Amino acid sequence: MAHQAHAYHMVDPSPWPLTGATAALLMTSGLAIWFHFHSLSLLYLGLTLLLLTMIQWWRDIIREGTFQGHHTPPVQKGLRYGMILFITSEVFFFLGFFWAFYHSSLAPTPELGGCWPPTGINPLDPFEVPLLNTAVLLASGVTVTWAHHSLMEGNRKEAIQALTLTIILGFYFTALQAMEYYEAPFTIADGVYGTTFFVATGFHGLHVIIGSTFLTICLLRQIQYHFTSEHHFGFEAAAWYWHFVDVVWLFLYVSIYWWGS
Amino acid sequence: MTSASGDRTWMDPRGCLFCRSSCPERDEGRIMFYKFNGFTQRLSGGAGPAAYCPQGLKPLVSTEPPTMIFDTPTKSVSELEGGGVHFLGRNKVPDFQQIFQKPDGLPVHLKRGVPDRLLYRTTMALTIGGVIYCLVALFLAAQPKKQN
Repeated sequence: MAHQAHAYHMVDPSPWPLTGATAALLMTSGLAIWFHFHSLSLLYLGLTLLLLTMIQWWRDIIREGTFQGHHTPPVQKGLRYGMILFITSEVFFFLGFFWAFYHSSLAPTPELGGCWPPTGINPLDPFEVPLLNTAVLLASGVTVTWAHHSLMEGNRKEAIQALTLTIILGFYFTALQAMEYYEAPFTIADGVYGTTFFVATGFHGLHVIIGSTFLTICLLRQIQYHFTSEHHFGFEAAAWYWHFVDVVWLFLYVSIYWWGS
Repeated sequence: MTSASGDRTWMDPRGCLFCRSSCPERDEGRIMFYKFNGFTQRLSGGAGPAAYCPQGLKPLVSTEPPTMIFDTPTKSVSELEGGGVHFLGRNKVPDFQQIFQKPDGLPVHLKRGVPDRLLYRTTMALTIGGVIYCLVALFLAAQPKKQN
């Protein structure tokens, strides 16, 4: 039987890039069809296909790494570069929305009353629920670091506890933010204030949900003994993503909630 | 140990015939056994049987009395022999490693057989069906609206 004479991973042929691309086609076309013809079927089909693609693609990566041993040190290095580049691209994504916010708020137009917050807007008190949200995310940053150290020390029980606590804090943030959205005295349609507020915080909330999901997968994997004290890159990637989410919130809080109020 | 004649020799564990107690000063060609008295920090003659029990060695069997246990801890399922459940489940990774490293030529996304095939075929059906649905929908959306 032929064996490879290198440490890199030559992947098996996979159908998931094709199904993922199809999902992108269906979601974008579905959005257009929804806008013009009020039908959600194509959009839902695209979302279902996206979910199936993600589950099977990442399931296969876990199989290749944990069960087949393909994630050698050079391969892991590549995965690290990949995650860092992805998070960097996400930073630029948020940078755009912060640019939009500062563009509108540093030089408010006469239509807004020449002031920020614009005339008629009652902003949320930054020292109420938003401050609690800040504390919750900062605490979750501590617990995820605690989980990492427990993992590195081979302390299975504490790693599971700390990771569970991190996820609970993440869900608590999401619940608080959902309540704030419901109770807010302004909407996304309330001028540029509403737009910048809900688009920036909304995308942030979506990333919190993504991060919480990633951490939950890591919890399930930790329970099933996938991680060792030396090799647990999936967890590290989730922790990096979570810290990124936390930092974005800090910028949102200081810029939009505090300075912008 | 006795000699052919049956006489007891100095090596006899029952003790030397010439002296029942220690006789370190008597040096009559016999090798005396000395033991170290830790209290006086001096050598003193040892009785025969002591020669076979070196002072420095720890006994194989502990002579300490067993600690008294007043209550045995409740044995949980995880402490049972034979690989029972541990904290939140047994480690099944080695079993999975065996399954996924079988040299059957299957690609990783189909390696587990039936459940993988089912999921793959469902996904592929949605993909192909979805593309057709999308093309039809876009074709219809591209038709000009009838002007009244």
